[in-house]
Amino acid sequence: MFLALLGRSLARHRALIGALAALLSAFQILDIVAAYNLQENAIYSQFAALVPAFIQEAMGGALVGSLMGAIAIGFVHPLVMLSLSCVAIYIASEPAGEVEDGLVDLVVARPVPRFFMVTRSAVAFAGGTAAIVAAMFATSRITVHWLTPATAAAVPASRLAWVAANLLAIVWCFGAGALALASHTRQRTHAAGTVALAAVSLYLLQFAAAAWAPLRPFARVSPFHYYDTMRTLTATVTPMGNVAGLTTAMLALLGVAYTLYGRRDL
Amino acid sequence: MPDAIRTESLTKYFGSVVAIEALNLTVAPGEIYGFLGPNGAGKTTTIRILLDLVRPTSGRAWVDGLDCRSASLTVRRRIGYLPAEMPLYREMTGARYLDFLAALESRPIDLAYRRQLLSRFDVSDVDLGRRLDHLSHGMKRKFGIIQALMGHPPLLILDEPTSGLDPLMIEAFAETVQDLKREGRTTIFLSSHVLSEVERLCDRVGIIRRGRLVRQTSISDLRRDTPRRLRVFFDGPAPSLPSSLAAALRRSGARHWELEWPGPLGGALDAMRGLPVADIEIDPFKLEDYVLKIYSGTDGDPE
Repeated sequence: MFLALLGRSLARHRALIGALAALLSAFQILDIVAAYNLQENAIYSQFAALVPAFIQEAMGGALVGSLMGAIAIGFVHPLVMLSLSCVAIYIASEPAGEVEDGLVDLVVARPVPRFFMVTRSAVAFAGGTAAIVAAMFATSRITVHWLTPATAAAVPASRLAWVAANLLAIVWCFGAGALALASHTRQRTHAAGTVALAAVSLYLLQFAAAAWAPLRPFARVSPFHYYDTMRTLTATVTPMGNVAGLTTAMLALLGVAYTLYGRRDL
Repeated sequence: MPDAIRTESLTKYFGSVVAIEALNLTVAPGEIYGFLGPNGAGKTTTIRILLDLVRPTSGRAWVDGLDCRSASLTVRRRIGYLPAEMPLYREMTGARYLDFLAALESRPIDLAYRRQLLSRFDVSDVDLGRRLDHLSHGMKRKFGIIQALMGHPPLLILDEPTSGLDPLMIEAFAETVQDLKREGRTTIFLSSHVLSEVERLCDRVGIIRRGRLVRQTSISDLRRDTPRRLRVFFDGPAPSLPSSLAAALRRSGARHWELEWPGPLGGALDAMRGLPVADIEIDPFKLEDYVLKIYSGTDGDPE
């Protein structure tokens, strides 16, 4: 019964998941090829000089102007982070869509426990985005190995895997937030739109905080605050604390989703 | 044996809007029960409470003696449901749709029975292979009926089952209901605006208006108790009215009377014995007349 529900949800979203996986994997290739060319022509230092300090800071510090920085950009670029977040948010908002379309009448009128609906959506958004990030990770590793084997050795897979895990934890936070809201509201656009807007705002908050010190305390509420790509890649830190914190927030939001869905009128 | 459906003081408010209020109804096992009411009267809300899709503000509901809230899963195992607005996974084919819904049932679907239903409702293999969003409204409705019936549940809740069906398919639906009635294992709770269909199929009806159950009675009692309209025509001028018919007179003309007679007609015919009656027209009992009076609030009941 649960697998039937999950299969249906993944089938409904497979085009979206597949398309974003292809796009972001292509982005990894383009990013690394462009970085390789910059390195070949030795113009990284000129490139770094063009980028304002606060943007460098927001994007990971001095390593922005390096091949390793370019590898990281595949995982830290705002378009990458926000598009992944939006996919998670859209998939997670399915319960509200089912109420809106009346499909819930067909499914929950059968002996399907309500918590199955939330679990199904949680597994779908987590699994869907994990598949996309796995594709990005694999593409990045293959491209780096192909172009610059020496750099590939300098950035072990385990470091990049931590970056990917940290990114996934952020994305899952937004997915869980959307699921919590979708477990309460009757309109998918309301659930997805609100959380997507929150994701963009929280990204901008983190970005602005890098440029303007008074905002820094507030940036702590942004999941993007807990994403330190460059220092993770250079093995300065292992983002275990960040991933654990973000995962805890996600689990709390999932708890809210289960509670709200269990109590609501469908 | 517990009632197939029972509600006790069932009340649901949506904010300040009263959907149903103090609803008490009972449906006996094996009965075909017509749940009637104008649009917005609270029929669908009642059905959705039975299915635990909506939680009551107060009061309780039971199916086969099981609380619809606390034993929700067990209750839903016993119900086959056809919603009024047929929700569809538009991208699915008919066959996949039925398979998907069968996978959500707690017991295996009898495929032979499903094939029998498909055949009765004239759904071909070609129709089964077409995407649902490419099907006509009537064909979608057929899939709705089949998905509700295919699990052979002990309780069927059908909300506007024949809306959009052609006369042949309405007949197929009626035959299916009658077959189920003959088998005696299925209780059917049917909400419909097609009153002729309700009159033909149902054993009892409950009529809901503005969230309150205003009548619950059997069709046979209704037939017996509802005043019948008679038009009596005479060979010459209408004679003077016998005293036993005085209360029944609604209108009189130069050569005819119009009467409304409650109860068995024998009494009225006896009273006319010896009069120069040329012809009598008796309107057949029509549930529609009775129900429309209640819907419009002209039945004399303040609620």
